[in-house]
Amino acid sequence: MQKTLRRYAAVFVLPTAVAFTVAFLIPFLMGIYLSFTEFTTVTNAKWVGFSNYVRVFRDSSDFTNAFWFTAKFTVVSVVLVNLFAFSLAMLLTRGIRGTNVFRTVFFMPNLIGGIVLGYIWQLIINGVLSWFMVDITFSASYGFWGLVILMNWQLTGYMMIIYIAAIQNIPSDLLEAAAIDGASPRQVLRNVILPMVMPAVTICTFLTLTNSFKLFDQNFALTGGAPGRETAMLALDIYNTFYGRVGYEGMGQSKAVLFFIMVAAIAYLQLRATRDREVENV
Amino acid sequence: MTGKEKKAARRVLFVWLVFLAAVFVAPILVVLLNSFKGQFYITDEPFRLPTAETFVGLTNYAAGIAKTGFWQAFGYSLFITVCSVGVIVLFTAMTAWYITRVKSRPARIFYYLLVFSMIVPFQMVMFTMSKLANMLGLDNPAGIVFIYLGFGAGLSVFLFSGFVRAIPEEIEEAAMIDGCNPIQMFFLVVFPMLRPTAVTIAILNTMWIWNDYLLPYLVIGNKYKTIPIAVQYLQGGYGSRDMGALMALLVLSIVPIIVFYLTCQKHIIKGVAAGAVKG
Amino acid sequence: MKKRLAIFLCLAVILSFGLLASGCGGDDEQGDDKTASGGTIYYLNFKPEVADVYKDIAAAYKEETGVTVNVVTAASGTYEQTLKSEIAKAEAPTIFQINGPRGYQNWKDYCADLSGTELYKHMTDPTLAIRDGSGVYGIPFVIEGYGIIYNDAIMRDYFELKTKKTDVSSMEDIQDFATLKAVVEDMQAQKDALGIKGVFASTSLKSGEDWRWQTHLANIPIYYEFQKNDVDLTGDETREIQFQYDQEFKNIFDLYINNSVTDPKMLGSKQVADSMAEFALGQCAMVQNGNWAWSQIAEVSGNTVKAEDIHFLPIYMGMEGEKDQGLCIGTENFIAVNSQASPEQQKLAEDFLYWLYSSDTGKDFVTNRLEFIAPFDTFNEDDRPSDPLAREVMDWMEREDVHTIPWNFTLFPSQTFKDDFGAVLLQYAQGQKNWDDVKNLVVTQWKSESR
Repeated sequence: MQKTLRRYAAVFVLPTAVAFTVAFLIPFLMGIYLSFTEFTTVTNAKWVGFSNYVRVFRDSSDFTNAFWFTAKFTVVSVVLVNLFAFSLAMLLTRGIRGTNVFRTVFFMPNLIGGIVLGYIWQLIINGVLSWFMVDITFSASYGFWGLVILMNWQLTGYMMIIYIAAIQNIPSDLLEAAAIDGASPRQVLRNVILPMVMPAVTICTFLTLTNSFKLFDQNFALTGGAPGRETAMLALDIYNTFYGRVGYEGMGQSKAVLFFIMVAAIAYLQLRATRDREVENV
Repeated sequence: MTGKEKKAARRVLFVWLVFLAAVFVAPILVVLLNSFKGQFYITDEPFRLPTAETFVGLTNYAAGIAKTGFWQAFGYSLFITVCSVGVIVLFTAMTAWYITRVKSRPARIFYYLLVFSMIVPFQMVMFTMSKLANMLGLDNPAGIVFIYLGFGAGLSVFLFSGFVRAIPEEIEEAAMIDGCNPIQMFFLVVFPMLRPTAVTIAILNTMWIWNDYLLPYLVIGNKYKTIPIAVQYLQGGYGSRDMGALMALLVLSIVPIIVFYLTCQKHIIKGVAAGAVKG
Repeated sequence: MKKRLAIFLCLAVILSFGLLASGCGGDDEQGDDKTASGGTIYYLNFKPEVADVYKDIAAAYKEETGVTVNVVTAASGTYEQTLKSEIAKAEAPTIFQINGPRGYQNWKDYCADLSGTELYKHMTDPTLAIRDGSGVYGIPFVIEGYGIIYNDAIMRDYFELKTKKTDVSSMEDIQDFATLKAVVEDMQAQKDALGIKGVFASTSLKSGEDWRWQTHLANIPIYYEFQKNDVDLTGDETREIQFQYDQEFKNIFDLYINNSVTDPKMLGSKQVADSMAEFALGQCAMVQNGNWAWSQIAEVSGNTVKAEDIHFLPIYMGMEGEKDQGLCIGTENFIAVNSQASPEQQKLAEDFLYWLYSSDTGKDFVTNRLEFIAPFDTFNEDDRPSDPLAREVMDWMEREDVHTIPWNFTLFPSQTFKDDFGAVLLQYAQGQKNWDDVKNLVVTQWKSESR
């Protein structure tokens, strides 16, 4: 069968392959090349070696600041989102009246786009802060917590769904056995439920991790980096470098390459974590 | 714990959940409320109900729609999302089947490249990709469908491949003996079996493309506005920022999502769970 | 469930095609029909407040000549970035605008020589154009002025107030910062008696809405600095400044934020539209802005300000001899034609521009809809805009006893400089940064952005 199928490669693979090459492969390779050049449009690049990369760190502290802000934000949201999502999942797997309705409501914010979410929360947060006669631009920590709240509102429902699926997959005889042995609810949680949902924890951790790390739309709409550029995360900083001014394209592209390397490192960690887990299961 | 205590505990939990649900819905309701208030009464006191003085009826909606060409934006969003998702589901399913069954070296390399593309952040290619799209004349609503196919291929092929591997080859071999050519086989035998995955992939891609801002903004944003671009455009200026129009537009952009969600809720929740487990 | 999904999908497809079909037929915005007989040019507009007018102009021009003018408007604060991405495209803008000599430096590869055009020949003051060698690369198409706009009705109320603590009895008496400050502070103290919420409208410092301060207000101390040090504005000396009149800038800025409708800590969410609405609704007596703001004032519903009560006051900040200071009048709007467009397109663009500033239809649009003060001799006395602020600007321009301050902010190094300046002003207003930080940032950023 393989042989006959091979003759149909044009039908089965060509459309995807061409689109992939145009939309991803060429731009990706060109992006790496351009990060070593100075350019304003893709046709007038001049090779400058590593000077763009040097400039990223020498010209201003924007990128480093954005990195630390992003890192802090990522850690806090990963912890909080997963904590809330797991608690909600525990509550919603007890057969309480209206479970389905609650699940529907908690999940809904996830479907709303980042730009729209950003403006919704800008209104709410500024409204609350106006009681104290300030607004979200007053301090970077307001912007930080604003983003954390937004992220929780958006992602908790999503992660909750995954946790619910995992909890429901725990064989009921395991729980019954624990109950017969006289285990307290806390012991059940610690010794039965948590180990059984560990795979889901890994998945959710990495999903929140990459989502938070790569956050753009929400950051763009909610704070836009204000005050100053103090709440600009990496993706926003790259965008600003690229499109905010003329003459910084090369530097923007090399920031993008660095950003890519960081994201790839996270993905590698994830791959290893998942592999290790699979080994354990075997 | 006695039965009574259990019941009481459940009641407390129920009330707690109701409270949480209210917290989750509240932001949307606040926006809805403010969409009926005059534009200068929004920033300062967003939590106050509209009064006779501040109530403006549907003025904000009229302004928001007129300033951004909302219906057209809605049309573009719908067209781009529906077409892209259709194209992605069809072509990536075909590709996934091909590269899983044909175990040649090029097929394997292609597969790994696709998987690799999943971890590359958009910022890495945003400039070069939008330039290339313009040079190739893809900067229009039809062209962007093609871009989405290329950019969405990674995740979709990856998910499809996982399920293709689970299909026993014997079924296909039997069909082959019955005289099916690969195209017939794909549409009559393989694709029907992939349908649950197709729904998952369609939903994941719909959520992504409908809400996507930066890619369409960079590729087609100045001429064709999708809904997120229209919202941002309103905020970015157009003379004066009209908070009222912004509120109205936020409401208008949430409504289709809620309708979609309530119609296909079951599929969405299942799809998300399935997609996550694999991803 | 599956059935429902299928129906939903079908509906979605039908709806999307339907909407697109109707959208393409009904709207001229896209105007991609290359079949149009007279050709097509693309105008990238800088002024969002008149975007709709340009659409009407394009429609009128199409009717007269068959030439399609596609007008795309960049959102405020994003012109450079939009131009950058558009100019590299296959269908690049034929007409765009540069904001002065700095802008010309960025875009000179794309600016065609306009010295042979009709439009240039009709300029009332050809020295205003942007030149390089013998070529002319940017033609100003509008003259604008700004200062402190005040509502004379409220001022009259104040001058008649029995509890008034100053001896100022008319606006003519205010000719320096000290007097202005005394009046403003006394008014603020008695705001309830005057029925206002504050003397000045909100100092809008939301990002993207802060150009009245980081650009317009900052123009004045920088102008005086260049004057005092005899700086050659076309040379490299402008690449560094000392911000030596920072205290004067601080004088007026403090006056604005401390005697305002809004608490200084809340200014980060205020936009220009809020300020203009406050002024139009009579909640404040003064607002710093230019003649272009008239439409914004006039269109606010519940507007209590009468056209004849609106006047300009120069922005006094404590400069030496500021008694003779007039309004800030100039332009940052220079039209440029894309030199990389085809010769036919360039010709079409020049024809369109000449039509707009010379034909009766075009002039009518310019005067009555765009409300521009046009610097061309094709416009005579009758072609002056009717709005009160534009008339005030012209009156101030013609006064012999004051000197007009030109728009030197076209020499400001970059949008990034202005954005950073605006951000630090906000932090200063909020009490998060002190004035030394502001001064420091202005001096260092100016230098590093001038590379």
